[in-house]
Amino acid sequence: MKPFEPGLVHAPVTPFRRDQSVDYATYAKIIEFHLRNGAEALALPMPEGEDMSLRDGELRGLLEFAVKQVKGRVPVLAHVSDAGTSIAVERAVHAEKTGAAAIISHPPYFWHPRPAMVVEHLVRIGTAVKLPFYVCTPPVESVGTELTSDMVMQLIERVPNLAGVVDASLDFVFMEEVISGGRKLRPGFQLLAGRDYLVSAAALGGTGAIVPLAGIAPKLVRQVYELCRQQKFMEARGMQEDIAHLHHLVREAGASGLKDGLAGIKRAMAMMGRECGVPRPPVSPLGEVERGRFEEAVQALAFLKTEPRGW
Amino acid sequence: MLMPIKLKGVMQAPVSPMKDDFSFDGEGFAKMVDFHVRHGAPAIAWPHHKAESLNLTIAERKLGAEIAVKTVAKRVPVSIFVGTLSEEDSLDLARHAQKAGADAILTISPYCRRPAQEEIFDSIVRIATAVELPVLTYNSPWRNGEGVEFTGDLTRRLIDRLPNYVGMKDASFHSQKYLEISRVALGMRPGFAIIMGVEHLLASYPLGACGSFSSSGAIAPNLCNKFFAALEAHDWETARECQFKISELWRLFKEQYPSSLKGAMIMMGRPVGPTRSPLPTATKERLEFLRKRLEELNILQTEPHGW
Repeated sequence: MKPFEPGLVHAPVTPFRRDQSVDYATYAKIIEFHLRNGAEALALPMPEGEDMSLRDGELRGLLEFAVKQVKGRVPVLAHVSDAGTSIAVERAVHAEKTGAAAIISHPPYFWHPRPAMVVEHLVRIGTAVKLPFYVCTPPVESVGTELTSDMVMQLIERVPNLAGVVDASLDFVFMEEVISGGRKLRPGFQLLAGRDYLVSAAALGGTGAIVPLAGIAPKLVRQVYELCRQQKFMEARGMQEDIAHLHHLVREAGASGLKDGLAGIKRAMAMMGRECGVPRPPVSPLGEVERGRFEEAVQALAFLKTEPRGW
Repeated sequence: MLMPIKLKGVMQAPVSPMKDDFSFDGEGFAKMVDFHVRHGAPAIAWPHHKAESLNLTIAERKLGAEIAVKTVAKRVPVSIFVGTLSEEDSLDLARHAQKAGADAILTISPYCRRPAQEEIFDSIVRIATAVELPVLTYNSPWRNGEGVEFTGDLTRRLIDRLPNYVGMKDASFHSQKYLEISRVALGMRPGFAIIMGVEHLLASYPLGACGSFSSSGAIAPNLCNKFFAALEAHDWETARECQFKISELWRLFKEQYPSSLKGAMIMMGRPVGPTRSPLPTATKERLEFLRKRLEELNILQTEPHGW
């Protein structure tokens, strides 16, 4: 049997109503948009889907809704990270029962335990399910403990269903070590590029990508992904620079000390005719002046002109 | 008139050989430089951290620069690193490099001050306008916002301000940081040389990096040259093989850099003496471990021995 490989994975945002409840009507539209525009799989809710701001019940509800909406058209990868091990374990078990195709978790939020404890946390999550399991590097520095390549090697030894790493570190050294070391221990060990930087990961032998900007520029992301799949890395440079430009604008916008880009992504989605509301507090939407500046910069991106507008 | 300079490929950054009494071995250094040039180095860059730059006196750095220029004798370009703890020393070294006949300088704002972007800008402008040589800067961001980071915006301002600003040594090894610099710099100044600090080239070459300042070239020059040739041929399979092997070498050497590297050089028949304190000199046990690993990696068998 061919091992599970998710390919080009879109990471949808999570829309909220003014009363802070999840806006499922819009979420259905978002999911359909991704499926019509090149998603080979969905991962949710990733950090750009504001997983940390959702309550446990909401996280489960969101996944149940998505699985139902997708109806098996593409695999749905469930992100289950949390601060506490048992909470994350139970969420992973729930995801498996709900029909997720794979589980993603990174090291625990908030705490900074020693590496052995982080490994233990991830081992418990991974071994609680039979699904392919992906460990993810923390989305932004300082949100959790670092995931090192040594820890990944230990996890391969202890978690039989560990399929690969989702790399949001963007660190060349980590990617080199994980791919070369990981494949010695487990042939076919995967590295999925995180955060819209596809070329370097693919050149090093990465096998797929999870792309949060796909909600804004799905065509561009798809083209870079296709070029990478054909090993045409040199040809992908110009478009990867375009993605980096968009990524830079999105991340620099907003008041977040983490530069999480949440306010920017949702604003850019709205500019593309896909209104998804604003992030949940404490993340604030863009202020008036900043919003003007952001919109001007995004409107100046010529490559967005060929991207789909509206739903 | 600024002389154009061609920087490309795995450029070698020689170590600083020391005598047993820890004094700088000028004769050994000349041999080291010549070894690199004869084994295909497309440029010589000295004294990087690998060369214990901060543990050399300013007088030793000037002497080494003169030896490097003289030994290379125009066969390839020579870049002199002028980063120090004190900007006055950097200015002095920069002016000296020009007088000595270097082809470029590599500079950074004094590291340990954690300078702000504006301070880095001023510092680089002061150093770069003190010489008429092509100038490279060294991007060295550390975790948690420490180190000296050249953001895309800072790079743009420096290119705007300095006609002799020709390239960046990038030690971010990070997709986002790398692309911020490359898309801005290559857009404004085509041919701007982005040179990776260590051979993390497979991730960066497709995105416009022109080469690297080598860490492992003192041990495995053949592997370095094969790697770059594979990149230029877009032979990604071979490039991957070389990259992973070089990564393993880097893992061996990065611990107490450059002590382990200097230790491993003994195994290749190129003894370069001890490493200056506070860095340790590789112990006997460490040497034996290195020898075993180099053999397992097939380096001992396939790379040049002796000078």
